[in-house]
Amino acid sequence: MLWPCCSGPVALALLLSLWAAPQTRFSAGASALPTPPVARVNEKHRGFFREYCVECHGAKKREGKLRLDELSFALDSVQSADRWQKILGEINSGEMPPDDARQPSKTAKSDFLDNLSQTMVLARRTLSDTQGKITIRRLNRREYQNTIRDLLGVTVSVQDLPADGGAGTFDTVGSALFMSSDQFERYLELGRKALDHSFAKLGGGPKFFSVHREPETATNAAMQKAIEAVEAAQGRYVEWTAAVDKLAALPENQKLADEIRAMPTVKAVPARFYVQWSIKKPEPAPQTFGFADAAAADFHRSQYWKLQVDRDYLNLPHKDTGTYLTVFLGHSLEQIDAKKDWPPGDYLLRVKVGALEDSEPERCFLQVGQTDPGNPNSAKASFQPFTTLQITGTVERPQVLEIPVRIDSDTPRIFYLRERTGRGKDYKLAMDSPQQTGKHPKPALWIDWLELEGPVENNPKAGAAKSKAPEPLLQLASLSKSSPKASQAEARQILEPFAERAFRGKKPEPEFIDRLVALFEARVQAGESFDVAIRTPLSVILASPGFLYLQELGEEGKPRLLSPIEFASRLSYFLWSAPPDEPLLQLARSGEIKQPSVLARQIRRMIDSEKASAFIRGFLTQWLSLDRLDLFQFDLDLYPNFDDAAKDAARMEVFKTFEHLLRNGGSLTRLLKSDFVMVNGLLAQHYGIPGVEGNEFRKVTLPKDSQRGGLLGMAAILAMGSNGRESNPVERGAWVLRKLLNDPPPPAPANVPQIKRLEGRLLTTRERLAAHQEEPQCSQCHRKIDPIGFGLENFDASGKWRTQDSYFKRGVGEKGWEIDPAGAFYKGPAFKNFAELREIIANSPSRLSTGFSEALIEYALGRPVGFTDQALTQQMVQAAGRRNFLITDYLFALVTSREFQSK
Amino acid sequence: MTQPIPRRHFLRAAGTLIALPVMESLGYRAFASEKKITPPKRMVFLGMGFGVTQETWYPDVHQQGAHYVLPEGLLPLARHQKDFSILQGLTNKFNTEGHWGSTFWLTGANRYGVPGRNFNNSISADQVAAAVLGADTRYGSLHFTTNNGGGDGHGPGLSLAWNAQGKPIAGMDSPTLVFHRLFSEEKTSLEERKALLAQQKSILDAVLVDAKRVKRGVTKTDSDKLDEYLEGIRDIEIRIAKEEKWSGAPKAKAPLAEPAAGLGGKEQIKAFYDLAVAALQTDSTRVITYRQPVTALLKGLDLKSPVDSHSMSHYTMGLATGDASQLRDKIQSELLAGLMDKLKSVKEADGSSLFDHTCLVFGGNIRSVHSLDNCPTIVSGGGASIRLGEHMVLPKDTPLSNLWLTLLQGVGVSAERHGDSTGALSTLI
Repeated sequence: MLWPCCSGPVALALLLSLWAAPQTRFSAGASALPTPPVARVNEKHRGFFREYCVECHGAKKREGKLRLDELSFALDSVQSADRWQKILGEINSGEMPPDDARQPSKTAKSDFLDNLSQTMVLARRTLSDTQGKITIRRLNRREYQNTIRDLLGVTVSVQDLPADGGAGTFDTVGSALFMSSDQFERYLELGRKALDHSFAKLGGGPKFFSVHREPETATNAAMQKAIEAVEAAQGRYVEWTAAVDKLAALPENQKLADEIRAMPTVKAVPARFYVQWSIKKPEPAPQTFGFADAAAADFHRSQYWKLQVDRDYLNLPHKDTGTYLTVFLGHSLEQIDAKKDWPPGDYLLRVKVGALEDSEPERCFLQVGQTDPGNPNSAKASFQPFTTLQITGTVERPQVLEIPVRIDSDTPRIFYLRERTGRGKDYKLAMDSPQQTGKHPKPALWIDWLELEGPVENNPKAGAAKSKAPEPLLQLASLSKSSPKASQAEARQILEPFAERAFRGKKPEPEFIDRLVALFEARVQAGESFDVAIRTPLSVILASPGFLYLQELGEEGKPRLLSPIEFASRLSYFLWSAPPDEPLLQLARSGEIKQPSVLARQIRRMIDSEKASAFIRGFLTQWLSLDRLDLFQFDLDLYPNFDDAAKDAARMEVFKTFEHLLRNGGSLTRLLKSDFVMVNGLLAQHYGIPGVEGNEFRKVTLPKDSQRGGLLGMAAILAMGSNGRESNPVERGAWVLRKLLNDPPPPAPANVPQIKRLEGRLLTTRERLAAHQEEPQCSQCHRKIDPIGFGLENFDASGKWRTQDSYFKRGVGEKGWEIDPAGAFYKGPAFKNFAELREIIANSPSRLSTGFSEALIEYALGRPVGFTDQALTQQMVQAAGRRNFLITDYLFALVTSREFQSK
Repeated sequence: MTQPIPRRHFLRAAGTLIALPVMESLGYRAFASEKKITPPKRMVFLGMGFGVTQETWYPDVHQQGAHYVLPEGLLPLARHQKDFSILQGLTNKFNTEGHWGSTFWLTGANRYGVPGRNFNNSISADQVAAAVLGADTRYGSLHFTTNNGGGDGHGPGLSLAWNAQGKPIAGMDSPTLVFHRLFSEEKTSLEERKALLAQQKSILDAVLVDAKRVKRGVTKTDSDKLDEYLEGIRDIEIRIAKEEKWSGAPKAKAPLAEPAAGLGGKEQIKAFYDLAVAALQTDSTRVITYRQPVTALLKGLDLKSPVDSHSMSHYTMGLATGDASQLRDKIQSELLAGLMDKLKSVKEADGSSLFDHTCLVFGGNIRSVHSLDNCPTIVSGGGASIRLGEHMVLPKDTPLSNLWLTLLQGVGVSAERHGDSTGALSTLI
């Protein structure tokens, strides 16, 4: 039971009773769209403008042939906005007023710049306002991938498609989604690839494959062999050096031998004597002793110590019943291979694994991944994990982990497992440990056995799974199988329903189908069999506008209600980023989808579906700008455990928290402050929360005084406000203003002179950023941004709690200090510490509520939120506000709005 | 190396139309020696995203002309100092986006120029050039790119290039892909290829039928948006027509080996430079743009502590960010110097070098940090017949578009204006 009673059918029906309203509201005021406000510079700056700008650029002086005395304070056209933009730019860059002119006070200048910047943002928004017009949407990368998945049951890689959006809008905004000839050809190729995969799956029949691996036999034998080879080489090395020693001892060689011994390199490492000897003297030839040259022999010498790793391995207690994962050297990667003839599809990797008793907790993680087939480096170097799992089993009582993996026809078929070790950290550990402790680091993980099996839907034990294959695919399967002899009629029987399904319920033109059949016929004439020939026209359907674009009929300037079929698509691309499924389409065909109770049930079904994760991830990533996490790598010397796995877990915490709230009748305000977190073992370790082990994210109740709970305590949010080394109060403060307080600072102005005065000095973060308050160009925004950022300084770059910070500058020194988080909002309340800061923010949920509503509108409708949306925003905020800001209430209010239902 | 030339080529060449494939299979150089055909003009635009290190990249403004001291960031270019000019004072006046180093670099457009739209762009200089210079080559223009445009300070776009409608043109991000497109012979026979072209035409016809259906009954805005799809189809039709003309002509012989797979950072930039030279040398195209990686370049450098590209752009001298920024300048200059070496080493039939006929531009719309004035600009090569070897400080806020106009006219494209241009730069000629 995921839905608490408070958001049950009764309440929902209440909301949905508004459903009838849109239509009536429509006829009443379809043409009366509110006019956007005119952006206007505040009159109170008239004096400032006259005194510091017009005095030189007026009717009399006209410096630089520029007259500003007649410039209107209203930014009501692109031209006037551009003129004001230039004025703003000149002042920001410090060009104006010129140094030799009278200068305004810093406060007056800050206030003027503040107002002008905000006015400029408003003017740009006003002038680019689309009056609620929705531009037709092309499927973005995510939607394309999900749509292909739902149609053909395969997941295609969309890396080759150009990235969507980029102009600061969501990836659902139609006007920002472009199309080009290259892209068309890629759709053709990708569609064909997907079809080939799909047919390969079908062609594989119901066969189920599996492989079981007991790794010890292979590992132990390999270790033994490696030891023998190295020992044999060692024997030859000893013989060679003895031969050199013998010659060097001869009186006639005494002088040369002394010379070599005196060389700095030999002094540093005496064993290098032999390689130096070999450079001077051809005898005794290293080749006689089985080495390619003296350098190879010397290399053997330098690597000989590593033998100990293998030796130690063979002394480990459980090496005969399983395999250990060593650190970097030796057996650090275990693997399991899928056979070449296995069809592409979803498989299951099973591994029985345990951690050694005294392993450090941060090492008890297993990573599963693959290597880059295009990378010429060794598997160790190019290993890329896709899953990181905490190991809670022991060697005595190992656990069995099941890891879903995918095999595509063009991806590598080997899956590797290794201990979670940071980039370069394993190497360091492996190299440093022998020098420091005389021993190779102990392994942390032990594997009993591995299994790989699949395709999962063919598992004889899971009988019902078969019906999960998408319908269009099953239809294709039955038709292409029953038609070994190609006939045009049968091709038509496949193409027509497939096109209608691909077009999400809209019927293709007969002429379109005719041309597809002709294409099919041409392939048959070219000698292709039915099930190959049919793929050409099928792939054309997947590159057609009817598939790639969400067509909604309409007339310019006259909003029109969506048809039920169109509505079904808009709804499913909103909540699933995927096409409507058969139940939705059926309800659309019958028109029932418009009945309030039916719609309520469907929305609930959609939110509870696994597919809703596409909405959760897609929306949150963009709304909260989580992609910033990928912009930089963390410095693992400073944050040894904040690797990509930790980043992924941190990001997942945001998704899981929202998902929990969405599905359990939670309030949006829990994002500001909350008495619980959603964490897994890895993240709990990072936060220092005891008692959480394993890989499932779960709800953990927090103690009263916890710094966690809510976005401001989440590692993902805090890490974004850093550069991977130091926390960045400016990024954090600006993020809070943008996302939580719905008071975004204007975009960073171009051409502001950099403050270089403080370079090379040892200062605290506060002291360094104090410079922001000196220049009006900076202080206009930073007086609002920086104090919030300082309030979050108790979190380090990786989001861990700290009370002290330090700054290091090469050649200058290091300075440490106690963190002082106290501050005040600009013209607002003061706070002593993080807890108070969070409290203040949590006490103004209406700001978050408005910002969240606007973001949802833009994401769902696929157009920038405009001035015409004020009523809708208000409607959503009010609807949700009535019941403590339930997240589902925003969704319902939006879906049932006139705007959502109309084009 | 001379190969027997099929007789029909002579026949066609002697006739009224000199078919394009003849140019390719013989090479215009073959004509050049006999008929004194001058080598064609080429243009190469290299855009670097986030800007340079202000303190160590720009020469002293007091040292103008040929006698200026090369600053540290440009030192690797010392051996070419006579052969490039560095310009100060250029700006795209409409750009206010401090992270958009490429979106408007070659276009000079006003993002907000069209009311009711929050993004607007116009044709880029390379496409103006390609419309003229690209008529006789297998590829009208080629675009290399990083796919991390946003993170690398390039801003929206798919490459440096924007088409006549102001829509982004896709670029290729893999040297291997470029190599195969340029030099790998089709594995299919001529007949098969013709059949394939015929099939492609049928495919286009089919999707056009569906496009008509989708356009029916939609708003004017949607109909205009769907025109992008139709324009895409038209582009392919034009390409198919070109391919049909070229279908009998073998692709140029590769003057270099296939680049290794999986190259990153510096190595990848070098591979792209080599491919650019090869593409020009074989006359496969005459116009190339390259939107260069920053993040990947930084990741590949052996930096003490990792620096992301955005932090690098907010560098502080003496800190890790400053080191990264300076190292990046140095490596970019080394790579650019290498490219100039290559262009100089390739000889044309008349004894001149490829460098003499190429107009090479290196720069971007961002100076450093978020500054969009005094855009870093290096122009080189003899293609546009401009003055080389000088440090020129132009009047503050001279439109970048004036430079593009000057260069376009220099390579023989009869443009009268471009972007927000106010006229050609007389100081450069």
